[in-house]
Amino acid sequence: MRPPQTPATRPHSFFAAIILLAALALVSSPAAAEPNPQQAALFQKTIEPILVDYCFDCHDDASEKGSLSFESYESLTEHFDNHDLWLAVWKNLRAGTMPPPEKSQPSKEQRKEITGWIQRQIFKVDPDNPDPGRVTIRRLNRTEYENTIRDLTGVDFDATDAFPADDTGYGFDNIGDVLSLSPLLMEKYLNAAREIVAESVHTEGPYIPTIKMWGSNFRNEDKRQPRDVPFEKSDRFTNTEQIEHAGEYEVRAEVQIKGSSEATSHSANFTLLKDDKPVLSRELGWDFNKSVVIRGKVRLEKGGNNFTITLKESEPPEENEKHLDLYVYTIDLRGPLDGSHRVYPDQYHAVFTDGPPEDNTASRKEYARKLIRNFADRAYRRPIDDESLEKLVAIAQSVDAQPNRTFEDGVAQAYVAILASPRFLFRAETQPQPNNPGKIIPVDEFALASRLSYFLWSSMPDDELFRLARENKLRANLRSQIDRMLVDPKAESIIDNFVGQWLLTRNVQTIDIDPRRLTGERNLGKAFRIFSQDLRSAMRRETEMLIAHLLKENRPAHELLNADYTFLNEKLANWYKIPGVKGSEMRLVKIDPKHKRKGLLTHASLHIVTSNPTETSPVKRGLYVLDNILGTPAPPPPPDIPELEEAKEEAGHSASKRELLALHASKALCASCHERFDPLGLALENFDVGGRWRDKDHGAPIDPAGQLMTGEKFNDVFELADILSSGDRRTDFYRCFTEKLYTYALGRGTEYYDIPVIDKIVANSEKSGGYIREIIYQIVESPAFQKRRGDGDRLAAKN
Amino acid sequence: MSVNRRHFLRGLGATIALPTFESLLPQNALAAGKAGAIATTASGAPLRTAFVYFPNGAIADQWDPKGTGTNYQLNNTLKALEPHKKDFQIYSGFEQHWGWGHEDGAGDHARANSTFLTGVRATKTSGADIKLGISADQLAANQIGDLTRFRSLELSCDGVRKAGRCDSGYSCAYQYNISWSSATTPMTPEANPRLVFERLFGEGKDAAERQRNYDARQHQERSILDFILDDAAQLNKQLGRNDQDKLDEYLTGVREIEQRIEKAEKFGPLPDPHAPTPRDDIPEDYQEHIRLMYDLMAMAFETDSTRIATFMLAHDGSNRTFKQIGVPEGHHSLSHHREDRKKIDKIIKIDRFYVDQFAYFLDKLRNTKDVDGKSILHNSMIVYGSGHKDANRHQHNELPIILAGNGGGTLTPGRHVKFNNDTPLCNLYLAMLQKSCFQADRIGDSTAPIAAL
Repeated sequence: MRPPQTPATRPHSFFAAIILLAALALVSSPAAAEPNPQQAALFQKTIEPILVDYCFDCHDDASEKGSLSFESYESLTEHFDNHDLWLAVWKNLRAGTMPPPEKSQPSKEQRKEITGWIQRQIFKVDPDNPDPGRVTIRRLNRTEYENTIRDLTGVDFDATDAFPADDTGYGFDNIGDVLSLSPLLMEKYLNAAREIVAESVHTEGPYIPTIKMWGSNFRNEDKRQPRDVPFEKSDRFTNTEQIEHAGEYEVRAEVQIKGSSEATSHSANFTLLKDDKPVLSRELGWDFNKSVVIRGKVRLEKGGNNFTITLKESEPPEENEKHLDLYVYTIDLRGPLDGSHRVYPDQYHAVFTDGPPEDNTASRKEYARKLIRNFADRAYRRPIDDESLEKLVAIAQSVDAQPNRTFEDGVAQAYVAILASPRFLFRAETQPQPNNPGKIIPVDEFALASRLSYFLWSSMPDDELFRLARENKLRANLRSQIDRMLVDPKAESIIDNFVGQWLLTRNVQTIDIDPRRLTGERNLGKAFRIFSQDLRSAMRRETEMLIAHLLKENRPAHELLNADYTFLNEKLANWYKIPGVKGSEMRLVKIDPKHKRKGLLTHASLHIVTSNPTETSPVKRGLYVLDNILGTPAPPPPPDIPELEEAKEEAGHSASKRELLALHASKALCASCHERFDPLGLALENFDVGGRWRDKDHGAPIDPAGQLMTGEKFNDVFELADILSSGDRRTDFYRCFTEKLYTYALGRGTEYYDIPVIDKIVANSEKSGGYIREIIYQIVESPAFQKRRGDGDRLAAKN
Repeated sequence: MSVNRRHFLRGLGATIALPTFESLLPQNALAAGKAGAIATTASGAPLRTAFVYFPNGAIADQWDPKGTGTNYQLNNTLKALEPHKKDFQIYSGFEQHWGWGHEDGAGDHARANSTFLTGVRATKTSGADIKLGISADQLAANQIGDLTRFRSLELSCDGVRKAGRCDSGYSCAYQYNISWSSATTPMTPEANPRLVFERLFGEGKDAAERQRNYDARQHQERSILDFILDDAAQLNKQLGRNDQDKLDEYLTGVREIEQRIEKAEKFGPLPDPHAPTPRDDIPEDYQEHIRLMYDLMAMAFETDSTRIATFMLAHDGSNRTFKQIGVPEGHHSLSHHREDRKKIDKIIKIDRFYVDQFAYFLDKLRNTKDVDGKSILHNSMIVYGSGHKDANRHQHNELPIILAGNGGGTLTPGRHVKFNNDTPLCNLYLAMLQKSCFQADRIGDSTAPIAAL
């Protein structure tokens, strides 16, 4: 727990920070010594020649494109110290954006040579003591807000409806730098806080209770309930109700008249009697099938009270008119009306744990303090400091002191303030010397608990995590906590949010697909019934459940790509033409090779999210595999790309997608990238827009065979799945998966200093069989997850 | 208390705008119009400014008018505007220079959106360092936002956003926001009509209930704001620089709520739009959704709740389908039509669909009387345009731009004006903003205000 700050301590730490910064500045300002001869030789013999071959065309002193030149420099020291330059080189090489596609390309090894050299020589990345990096203070995104509110207050709040969509960065919507907070959103946060507290904190005081006599409590002589009683069948139903508090009660009967949607003159008299004395009575007729409410008053005694419902036909229907029936829903008894007996709702005791407050200021204050502390500790996800606590108690008291306001109103007001506070809305982690990049500390146990719970649950820590954090034992029990958390139903969140955004399954139900083209059904309504939301939902679940299965059963990650089983219900199985699956429940189904399914590449979810509304897109599919499986996203297309239209003219209008792409790629400018993704996308052409198997497209046979940039040849999507799930490509996949999960877990993009850490996780996964849970353990145990450092340029501070 | 708070806010740094002067300006033009004041017409009515963005450009050979000056002919796409021919002018030849890729490569859709009202180069990033520039509407809001209950109104019909990456390495923030209050803060638009209504006119089944809810809320808000500002100040001391920037966004938001409370006291009772609260869901039917949003914009103007609005019909690159007009394909996929006439014809249908809705809006404004007896349309300046010419080749010049309204009698509607090809679009905005009486010499890449307004 952070000690309360008093004014006396502040200047102290402030000066300390200044002195430290000054000391750092002294160390870093004069240039470090000239690189030693080996370093210089390495640069001049190995690195610089590659730069000359591939970069000088544009980045020499004469062209200086992007105001960037490698050609001349004062001294090697000055050259090496140009961190902005080398960071740009590192980023562009890694993303494959430089050299631009139309220029000749360095080999993979050469790229690695340079990026590795930059990591070692320029950034001095120390694999044994890595920079944990810095996560910007994170606002709760919509999902996290919803889940946190659920776990904190029990209220089911719909943040998707109430807040604008969160912006995404690096493919995820939980990135600190990108989650902005507009004035509009602030206004909405305040409204939401108020709404949530109004729903969860009962402030009205005790109320007069209502006893419900359901229609089903009543019986006639044949032991039947008053449901669908024909008007003409004059009938009696009785019930005895035990009453504890005698007195005057309000009676409210709710019945429905059924049987005809058109007017009829059929009518009957409905009467409720107590001990054979009428309490209320109404002539019932045709009323558009709406429910009718009848009110009255009655005096009840302590003990058993006998109620009777009678129904007696008044007027029969005319010829050709329909007959009516009576349906009794409920008869409510509210009382005693003199208020001699009042109760609090159950919900009241959930918040006001010690019951109603006493009538004395000191004990009310103490009670308010206890309630507010408990709520704030959980809402802030760490113990609240005394100063803030007292302010909140003061708010509660000032409301309590107002006329016509209650103790409960006061506590509610304090809760609203807590839910609008930045300590609730942001996941703030604090540290000493927040602007000293050299200051690395392990995050405290409360921060660790939040990092863990928002990673795996997209929500606040639960009681056990809080308990461990308070006892300072969480760090010592990480793996067992992860195991516990992953089998909790809340772990569904990591599937929804991580998988939903990584494999784009979130888009399956919203992406625009033309159902008529897809189903060949001309009637739009029918087409929508075939290609229904249920079916789309099953497609999304198929992929999500496979990952959930790998996670729960601790299976290897690459089984995602080559599983010989999948998850289906009847709808989806029919769509895939796999027989023998009945019912709407999704379940694990073994796949026979003749059913043409094997792992993610054959999932309809993938095919749908990479299709245009009316046709497949091999380019989008190829990019998906590069981006999300191999982790080698293609650079964006160059400006002024020649159009496929030109290719189409050359090829003639009957050209297949493969022929079109081949022509397009025959241009050198396009080839270098299209070679990377076209074969991947074309291998998936056997699946139509909706993921159904096809052998032909527009009458022409599909040729899915191809070759990867890395040389592996395949004849169809199944061989491709085998290639991607073994050997070097499997390593690529582990790395891709690890990087994505790492980004999601930390809420920031990966930086150069993360590379050695990720390398290590991938190497360990290789050795241990690629188990997903193992990867999660290692991410949680990585320095970036465990530690934090001050803000600023760490290199400048280090040199 | 509020004096202390201002001190504290100032201490935090630059991004928080403080009210500069207690106004000599008309507090509420409806109550007391004063001619010659800013954002006010000669007859003392409010002068409104709005920007409507439509996605993916328009097929030029069906959009471009025939002839110039007042004696011109509307082309097919704009036929629905024929009854309004005297209410708007068409401009040809505007360019958004930073819409082009230059050295940033692909990402034309993100740039078409993000440059439309800002005229600056968007930093190409998918996350960490979003940087654009303040947009024309927000520049205006900084000057005249104090005059109305709301500084500005941001609307959109994009309710659901895709997961994953946006356009070619640009953060989604660039693509889903056209209004930016600073280089780093997008003004998130609202897509749910009910929420827009409740924000403008309060929650409740009738005007009386809305007023009651509103009053109760104002009262409670004060004590909460005091607490959270103190809390933020305490937290702020313990944060690093980047974190403080994020917290500044929070403080700006809180400060706006404070200003709103102060304003509310100044402005008196809530306006009653004499219309029911829209139903809960976003309408499935796109036309109904668009029209509801236009209705709300009209109501906001009529009640003088704000004088500045932006409406992004859909983000550029939107792949929405238009089954109701016989176009099942996605708008974006179609827009890369490769000169295929069948596809072009479908895009034309979409272009006309959007223009039809705009015509509906103009009808509405022309049929609504303002305080000076003229129409709301007469007292407005409304830009309707796109950041692409024809999205097939991602051209950012010769943009389709319309300026509707008469600016309170100061514009020259009813003509077609043709410029040299690279006139910055921001030159139009600069002229408009100067018209609403504020001194500005630059918006984005503007060079000089256009003379032909």
